[in-house]
Amino acid sequence: MNRFMLFFHKTGSPPWFYRFAGKLIPWLWVGFAVLTATGLYMGLFLAPPDYQQGESVRIMYLHVPAAWMSMMIYGMMAVMGFIALVWRIRIMEVLTISSAPVGAAFTIIALITGSLWGRPTWGTYWVWDARLTSELVLLFLYIGVIALYNAYDEPRKAARAASLMAIVGAVNLPIIHYSVLWWNTLHQGSSFSASGSSIHPSMLWPLLLMAIAFKFYYGANLLSRARLRLLKQDHRKRWVHELLVQESE
Amino acid sequence: MSHTPFIMASYLISAAVLLWAAFAPVVNKHSLDKQLKARQKHMDKKQ
Repeated sequence: MNRFMLFFHKTGSPPWFYRFAGKLIPWLWVGFAVLTATGLYMGLFLAPPDYQQGESVRIMYLHVPAAWMSMMIYGMMAVMGFIALVWRIRIMEVLTISSAPVGAAFTIIALITGSLWGRPTWGTYWVWDARLTSELVLLFLYIGVIALYNAYDEPRKAARAASLMAIVGAVNLPIIHYSVLWWNTLHQGSSFSASGSSIHPSMLWPLLLMAIAFKFYYGANLLSRARLRLLKQDHRKRWVHELLVQESE
Repeated sequence: MSHTPFIMASYLISAAVLLWAAFAPVVNKHSLDKQLKARQKHMDKKQ
């Protein structure tokens, strides 16, 4: 068995995953802190105000990466949910459900910062525009996945139901992405295309740094939540008992 | 219209949401550790 396949098989073992994630989490937090500090410094102090939006463009360094994360995490949930349903890998079930609160947090940030940006720029906090409404539906989907999981007593049944909902809800992702093209919306179109970006590098770099920082945040938070969930599910198993003995020594 | 209050509010709310989401598993882990250790002690006493 080659090294990659061996690593893949090892990740399926809860005790191995618990220890591996424990080692990875501090590095992910360090990456998040460094990238966020750099991104925010560039975005708040070095980047110029926009010629149309003025200073409110600085909200974009949070809003855009958070909106990307909200969609990316849901996409990840659907893929992991699919793997969990087809191959019955418990770690994937745990990762699917542990992603939901993090994704919901990013969706809340995207909606609130978008609303706070909209007031000085559009003159209103909210419009029932296709992009805004579909993003709100995404938040409801996240809440639905969490609620459905908590409605069951048996964690594996709960994870299967939540995975199925995550897969079905993924239909909303192309709707969010293409909403600005399919409907006449107040929300502007994407500044990124296959041919490149229309954003000046002085604004693009802090935006990209924050986008990468948020991915580190997702990784660290997801693994912390997955570890906790594994401990809760396996609290009567031998490896948890051994872990407690090790920690108390 | 000054944009500063909107920018400040955006950053403060985002920080609050991210901190809450980051610390929730840490707080839960502490209480779970306490529960598991208490149960362990109880079982050790029984034996």
